[in-house]
Amino acid sequence: MLNVTPEFILLALVVITALAFDFTNGFHDTANAMATSIATKALTPKAAVTLSAILNLVGAFLSVEVAITVTNAVIRIQNPDGTPKPELTADSGHALLLILMAGLAGAIIWNILTWLWGLPSSSSHALFGGLIGATVASMGWGGVKWVGEGTKLDGVIGKVVLPALLSPAIALVVAMVGTALVYRITRDVAERYQENGFRWGQIGTASLVSLAHGTNDAQKTMGVITLALIASGNWTQTHDVPFWVKVACALAIATGTYIGGWRIIRTMGKGLVEISPPQGMAAESSSAAVILVSSQLGFALSTTHVATGSILGTGVGRKGATVRWRVAGRMGLAWLTTLPLAGLVGAGMWWIGHLIGGSTGAFIVFGLMCLAALYMWWHSRHDRVGHHNVNDEWVDAEKAQQEVPVSGGVR
Amino acid sequence: MDQLLAALDGAWRVLLAGLLLGAGLPAMFAFGVRALAWGTGGDAEIHADGVLPKAHLGGRIVAYTMFSLVVLAVLIGVGYITAHGLGYSITFNGIIPVITAKH
Repeated sequence: MLNVTPEFILLALVVITALAFDFTNGFHDTANAMATSIATKALTPKAAVTLSAILNLVGAFLSVEVAITVTNAVIRIQNPDGTPKPELTADSGHALLLILMAGLAGAIIWNILTWLWGLPSSSSHALFGGLIGATVASMGWGGVKWVGEGTKLDGVIGKVVLPALLSPAIALVVAMVGTALVYRITRDVAERYQENGFRWGQIGTASLVSLAHGTNDAQKTMGVITLALIASGNWTQTHDVPFWVKVACALAIATGTYIGGWRIIRTMGKGLVEISPPQGMAAESSSAAVILVSSQLGFALSTTHVATGSILGTGVGRKGATVRWRVAGRMGLAWLTTLPLAGLVGAGMWWIGHLIGGSTGAFIVFGLMCLAALYMWWHSRHDRVGHHNVNDEWVDAEKAQQEVPVSGGVR
Repeated sequence: MDQLLAALDGAWRVLLAGLLLGAGLPAMFAFGVRALAWGTGGDAEIHADGVLPKAHLGGRIVAYTMFSLVVLAVLIGVGYITAHGLGYSITFNGIIPVITAKH
């Protein structure tokens, strides 16, 4: 029988919260791979999310080399070999578990809020932001690795900020060139014939993005859960994760992907640029190439930033296409604020948990997170976006407000 | 400052390789679509009213060669993700990929 102690309850809450984060990670990022295929009707909305979910599931199992050192890029709660710092593991790892709990809660709240607004924001930024906030609250500013040393890209600047500025620009240029080339080469081909051809190409490249997403993102949660298990003395290896953790994370991210963040899919597929199949294929090829090349060269980046840059690029690369820069601007604002705001929520959550103390504190943090999530979900029912209306004509926000007084935000 | 330079150094490599693969592959696919339209003839190509373009076998051969190359590239991509996830690293020595265990 399991011995249900307060320490065990805290650990269980951290694991559940981590899986919940993995789930939001899944539905937030369905759009990265599938928004273009849904917008061009290469796949029906249901088929697209199903395909993407399966590939994420497969991808999650493919990542044997799990990043147990995932937090080392930005905060100092682990030793270089992945074991937690000894000063945090006293009392069954209470200090470390509370940091993880508060950080994950901050990340989840930010992920759901940006989903409500229909804005694609990076789930890795939200996770890092939440953890940084909780770490600063707990250990002070010195607990965070702000800038890496020398020329090895590391720390908040090298692993998060600089790639976030550079990667969308790179993806934009690649997709722009790809789109321009494709239209130039096929200009003598009848439009219907051209579009049907490219739908096939699009499905292939979108699948590649989904698979890469599963291998990259699921393992972040696996790393966090394994760290919690090590800190509480329930696991000792730093080169392997328990099998049940792998299964749970794979299922969480795949379920999230299947549920589909329709609001975000709509913004990326219809809101930024009206996408045709050739543009869709150029965008997905650009995303897949940039993601895979960067991972080969050890250049950390966010799938979300790359996918958005690619979609904007196909708009710039096609003559006469409209790019809604206002929507892109809102998105850019969300990117800039993701890390600090998730950090603020993470820090706030840590203080609440710390001041109340013990497993009661952790319970309150967990409860607050659930309440916030439920409230935002309830709010989303006012203007539902689902597979039935994801491809409806895009109405600019201000026009919509003049015509029908609905709640604000990108619909 | 070192970090910025390191990031820019990484960025131009990603840009170069990204352009080659990310813009090159759709371009090849586009050549395939173009060749297939020529190979199919009829309404696949934009043509003057009344004269339907003829079908060309050569066009179809070129098209399917192009498509096969793109499919091959996607399969290499899948292989790459798989190998990487299973703890192997791939180095491209020249063009032939060499798979080696990381540990």
